[in-house]
Amino acid sequence: MTVGREAVTLPLLLLTVAALGGVRVAPSGTLALVPPSLMALLLATLLLAALVRSGTLAPRRLVNDGRVALENASGAVVLVALLAASAQIFALLTPSGGLLAFVVTAFFLLLLWNTLAVEPDRRQLLRSLVVVFGGTFVLKFVVLASLYDPASGLLKRVMLTLLEGATLGTLGVVPDGPVTGYLAFLTLGLFFVALILLPRGLTEPGPFLPQSSQTIARGRS
Amino acid sequence: MSPSLVRTIGLAVSLLYAGAIVRVYVRQPATLPEVAGSLTSSVGAYRIDQARFDAGLTFFRHDQFVEARDAFAQADPARQDARVQFYVAYAFLRQGWGRVYADDALYRAGKAALEHARSLAPSGSIQVDDPDLRLKSSEEMAAEFDRGLTRELSDLNPVRVFRERP
Repeated sequence: MTVGREAVTLPLLLLTVAALGGVRVAPSGTLALVPPSLMALLLATLLLAALVRSGTLAPRRLVNDGRVALENASGAVVLVALLAASAQIFALLTPSGGLLAFVVTAFFLLLLWNTLAVEPDRRQLLRSLVVVFGGTFVLKFVVLASLYDPASGLLKRVMLTLLEGATLGTLGVVPDGPVTGYLAFLTLGLFFVALILLPRGLTEPGPFLPQSSQTIARGRS
Repeated sequence: MSPSLVRTIGLAVSLLYAGAIVRVYVRQPATLPEVAGSLTSSVGAYRIDQARFDAGLTFFRHDQFVEARDAFAQADPARQDARVQFYVAYAFLRQGWGRVYADDALYRAGKAALEHARSLAPSGSIQVDDPDLRLKSSEEMAAEFDRGLTRELSDLNPVRVFRERP
């Protein structure tokens, strides 16, 4: 991994994801900036653990005893920004309240728990995340947005009424405006770019790994 | 460029960027101009339109409060200047003030504007040195709003009709 990627590209990319992930634009055009919930932070921590286990993220390449303080500070910024960005992604993809928020949160929790148990490799984890995050994106910003669209047809409104009735009115979805959907798509895309750029578990030591770690890595190989 | 220099620049830019994001989230802007204003004010680059502010003051002094608020909104589109927002709150106060009773809706709007203005001031307090104003601090104005919004027996005191407008 190059110095520029670690010190400039990744922090700025992840901070942008963290910033955009909380933006909600109501259909009226009113803006709201939503910080991540505690549950989103917990899910983000689990995601980081899964990223480390799969080798998608090698935290020792960012922070370790062999690096000087400036290098460690730079690496720590990447890790903190990754946690913030992940939390905002979970907050973004989870419906704002009601039964569906509970269901989606439980789904994320079980899925991450299962991922930690299975220990997939980097490629498998990234594919899995694309499917999971893509699926919840479609659910929230395409399916639910379409159902709750005030200009939708009679059939959709009947379906929605039946759905609300079947769940005893606990769905409680407050649809975001279409701008939020476009922003969410962009945010999700940037997040996956950042995940791909993260320093991965080494088979060959990189040019910026300290000499001591390179020796260890060579010894292992 | 040396790796250390790249790291130093990257660290500084990242911390500034993170600080600006936190600041915008704390301010909770409701429109895109407010987001832009919040970001520019975080680096000290935000400026109000002084000409529109002066026009607003002229309206305010001629008791044209709706026009005054409109001009203040144009002078400070991002609602980032504590002094302008203080005058917005004052415009609500004077418009809502009455000798017999206060207009609750205008007082509530004014109180919200004052709270926003105080959130913009670093110390949470605003002092305005304007001889035209009776209430020169945010604390005095907050108390005036609270008095206007509180129902009590002294509201029935007939001497109230002789009190001065704030």
